[in-house]
Parts: sequence; C-alpha cells; structure tokens
Amino acid sequence: MVKEFQPYPFKAKQYSARLPTPEQTAKRAKVVIVGGGPVGLSVALGLARQGVASVLIEADDGVCFGSRAICISRRSLEIIDRLGALDGFLQTGLAWTGGRSFYRNEEVLAFKMPQDDNQKLPPMVNLAQYSIEQFLLDAAERVPDLIDIHWQTRMTAIDARPDGVTLSLSNPLGEYQLEADWVVAGDGGRSTIRELLDAKLVGTSYEGRYVIVDILMESDRPTERLAFFDPPANPGSTVLVHKQPDNVWRIDYQLRDDEDPEEAIKMENVAPRVQSMLDMMGERNPWAPIWTGIYKANALTLENYRHGRVLFAGDAAHLVPIFGVRGANSGIDDADNLAWKLAYVVQGKASDSLLDTYSDERVFATHENLSYGTKSTEFMAPPSFAFQLMRTAVLSLAVKHPALSQLINPRQTSAITYTESPLNQEQEENAAFNGGPRTGAVLPEGRLKVQGKDAHVTDLLGVGFTLYFFGDGAAIPSAWEQAAQRLARKDQELRLVTVTREQPEASSTAAWDSDGSVFALYDAAPGSAYLVRPDGHVLARWKKAQPERMEAAILKALNV
Amino acid sequence: MTDTELDRVYTLLCKTMTDLGESRSQLFLARFALLAIERLDNPQAAESLIADASEDMANA
Repeated sequence: MVKEFQPYPFKAKQYSARLPTPEQTAKRAKVVIVGGGPVGLSVALGLARQGVASVLIEADDGVCFGSRAICISRRSLEIIDRLGALDGFLQTGLAWTGGRSFYRNEEVLAFKMPQDDNQKLPPMVNLAQYSIEQFLLDAAERVPDLIDIHWQTRMTAIDARPDGVTLSLSNPLGEYQLEADWVVAGDGGRSTIRELLDAKLVGTSYEGRYVIVDILMESDRPTERLAFFDPPANPGSTVLVHKQPDNVWRIDYQLRDDEDPEEAIKMENVAPRVQSMLDMMGERNPWAPIWTGIYKANALTLENYRHGRVLFAGDAAHLVPIFGVRGANSGIDDADNLAWKLAYVVQGKASDSLLDTYSDERVFATHENLSYGTKSTEFMAPPSFAFQLMRTAVLSLAVKHPALSQLINPRQTSAITYTESPLNQEQEENAAFNGGPRTGAVLPEGRLKVQGKDAHVTDLLGVGFTLYFFGDGAAIPSAWEQAAQRLARKDQELRLVTVTREQPEASSTAAWDSDGSVFALYDAAPGSAYLVRPDGHVLARWKKAQPERMEAAILKALNV
Repeated sequence: MTDTELDRVYTLLCKTMTDLGESRSQLFLARFALLAIERLDNPQAAESLIADASEDMANA
C-alpha cells in the first residue's frame, strides 16, 4: 500500500528577517520574550493588555508546522478571551464535552467533562497548534506598537546580570544584541536559555513510545476523545483518536517495547495499522497521511521558574505528559500568571518579589499537573509488568464493575487552585463560607445581565484587580468608591462590579443576578465581596466585606 | 473511597509489585488476597468476589 503525504489544509504566512536599526538596538527593552509559540505570544498579549511593550524573538519564519498541541481547555479559552483572540478559536475549533474508551470490542468508559447552562465556553476545543498560534499572532499584529516580533532570529548567547540581560541574536541578515530589563524564556521543550543558564529539569522520563499520525479524511463522526485498549485491529496496542478541524484526524498508537521507532514511523509500517484501525471504526472514506512522529512521555520540571531577571514559562519550564492535555494548556496558564505580574513590576506597581509568586504558584501547578498526568501516563503507557497486569485487570472487570472504570478516566486538565500561594490574603475568611471559590481558585462561571444584555461572571474582570461586591441594591456604598479612588492615586486600578438580585435601573452598570444563582454559586449574602486578581484567581473574599481590608489586601499582595 | 483514594491505592499496588519483580508478584497477590479475605470477614462476600474475579478469565 503506497500512501502519498498530503500538506496540512493550512497555509502559513511567511515573515522575513530584518535587522533592527542602531536606534532600536540602543533602546533597552522592558521585556524580551524568546519563543513565539502559544506561550510567548500569550505573554506578549498579556503584557500588551496591561500596556507594556515587548520584543518577541522567534526562530522560524511563521507559525509552527506539524502535529503538536491539539486540545485547548475551557480555562485556556477564558484566558484567550481576555487576550482578545477568542473568536477564531470558537469559529474554527471543534468543541467537545467527553469521550469513550474501549477494551477489545466493549465500551468500558464514557466520560463527560463539566458542562452546564451557566458556562460561556465549551470544556474543550480541538484545534491544530498552527491555528492556535495564528489566532494569537493575528491578535498580536493588531497591536504593533506594543508587540515587536523579530522573525527568523535565533538567540546565540545570554548574559543575565542582576542589573539586566544582554541577548546575542542572529538572523540571515546579520547579528545584533538587545538589552532587556526582563527576559521570558518561552523557547520550548529544548530551551536554549535553559541550557545556557544551566537550569536543570528534574523528574521522570517514560520509556513507552507512541507513534503520532495526522491524516486527512472526510468523516461525520462526532468530536470526542476515543481510546482503544487492545483493539482487535491492533492487538496489544493502545490507540487514541481525535478529530481536528478541516478533516484532519490525529491517531496516536503505542509501540511494543521490541519495536524500532525509526522503522515504526515509516509509512509502509504506519499505513496498514491506520487502515486496520479505520476499518474497525467503520470509516470507509479514503485517507492520506500528513505527518508522522514519535512521542515519549516526560514528567519533568525546573524547581524554580525565576532565575533573577529570566522567567521560564511553558515547555521551557516543565514537560508534562501528553495524556490529559496539560502541555499547551499549562503553558497558557503560565503566561496568564506571569504577564500581569511582570507588567506590574515593570510599571512600578508592585515590588519584584511578586515575580517569586509566579514561580511559587506555577511550580505548584506543575506538580498538580504531573500527579494527574503521571497517573494517566502509567495507564496509557504502563511503565512495568505490574502496571500492565493491573490495567488488564481493570479493563476486563470495568463493564461488570463500573466503579472501577474511574481508573480508566483520562483525568483531563482542569483549572488549578493555588491553595498554598503566598499571594492569598485573609485566608481565615474562607471559613465563613459554605461554598464558592476559595482564595487562590478561579471564578466559577455564572449568568448575569448587564444593562439588559446577557453577560457572564468572567466577562466582568477588569485589566487590574476586580471587586465583585454582592449588594442589596444596584448602588455600591460610597466607601468602596472612595477606596478605589485612594488606590487610583497610588496608580492601582480597581474595577468595582456590583452584583444584585434587584433589577437595576436601565442606566446602572450593576450586574443583575435575576434568579439569585450567582449569589448561591458564590455563597454570597448582601455585603459579601470577592477580590479577584487580573488573572481571574481569587485574592481574598469576605462574607462581610470592609473597604479598608480590601485596600490593604491589594497593597500587601503587591508588597508596596 | 473517593476516586483519588482509589487511584492512590491502585498506584501503590502497582509500584509494590514493580519493586518485588514479576516472579514474586504472583505470591504477593495471593498474600494480598488472603489478607483482604480475612479483613472482609464475610465468607459469602469472599466467595462471590472469587466468582466475579474468575468470570471470563479466558477472555481477559
């Protein structure tokens, strides 16, 4: 069977290299971001949202090629919404809510991700990484004064000092240097900066290997995650199938330990396996390969993401297993956590110790991600005879003993609560609540009406801190306005959002919780308040809130 | 038992067997089964679990 490779149904725009003028290189940049993938672009957009300009260094001449990240979580979509790039993700991406797993011929698990009528965004969309990058790049190109991209440019050396960073750069036209106050290392799994700074990843590498194949095929099969354990079409293997936009299908299958990966990814060996899987699934349409590669799971992280003036994010900081889709999603979360903190430090609104909390929170998040990702990996690519034996036991018992099927659940990524964060304020106030998001958690979604229009809780987040005040009526007590004004004089932006169960007058900007569901979701009573960070995590909450304590919480968190 | 607790026990069992090695694991599982039967303290339940575990073994 001969199969000709087809191109991806996507044309990447090519960008040329240029040499900056002497005036441009003489000007010290506030922030230089190395790496123009989803993480680097998200940091640049997050900084731009805060009004901070950055220079972005990208080695390639456009967005990426090949099969990389394909699943974007609800939490990532929320972040991308704030970055002004959401539309393309929802228009092109394929939304999905669950999946099914099979053992031989029997379905052993059907799982659903959290989804209800309150949600603004789907739990997951499938989208190829080239599109992910393209939509972020489109948003970046809308703010050329704030994001300056140097294409086809590689970093060759880095001199990181206590007073600044010098980057040596090289592109087809020549070499130059840039001076920066801060550098973000978003340069991926094989990070050059990580190597040059001798920063060490710690953790586990797994031996189990998967072949990844992207194919082009028409099918009206719904979008869901399909996993096949020991399928009749590919005995002994585990196969994952994901639908992507534009008739691209991603098929991942596990290699036996005795198979040579170099041989395994040759099309003459890939094609029969793909064909037999498609036959088993009942897919009759012709297909063509687009791309093949080998994947090995890693569970590795740096122990600190801040190295003086250099901040690591995404795969440069940590490598998490593919199973559970935490790679790009955790990187986008890194970017969201880092961008506002870096902007606040650059703008003098916070002490630079705020950047240590970036590392604290995101190293914690990586450990959470790794604990779930490791469990999924141990199931999907059993690292020893014991995991293999126990997996066979689970799969063969799951139909008659459904309680065991939870062990098959892929444990998809979900938003992480920074329970131990040093940023959390007034933690003892959590005890007064019987529900709602605790300090360090993200906001659960709810429906509101603002000036007669439908809105969601997360839509109302400001660029700076936001106070959701649960009021008796639409008006917020004047003491809160005065506290916001005092903060403004210290250059601190605070958005006041009043949530009320009474219908506000047409002129009011208060958010109307017409059925009381948001009050209930947040376990709020009149006078309660949630103080929320620019990245949507709760900084503090009070059952009976006082403006002075809110003001103090912000200033203490920023250490100013 | 929560899903997380089940996960934790499952992983501990796998790791213990990995450390013992394949040849000792059969005896380990036999000892574990005996201890579980003794702790269960319910002969009917134990007999029913033996039946469940042996069912469809030919196809597992």
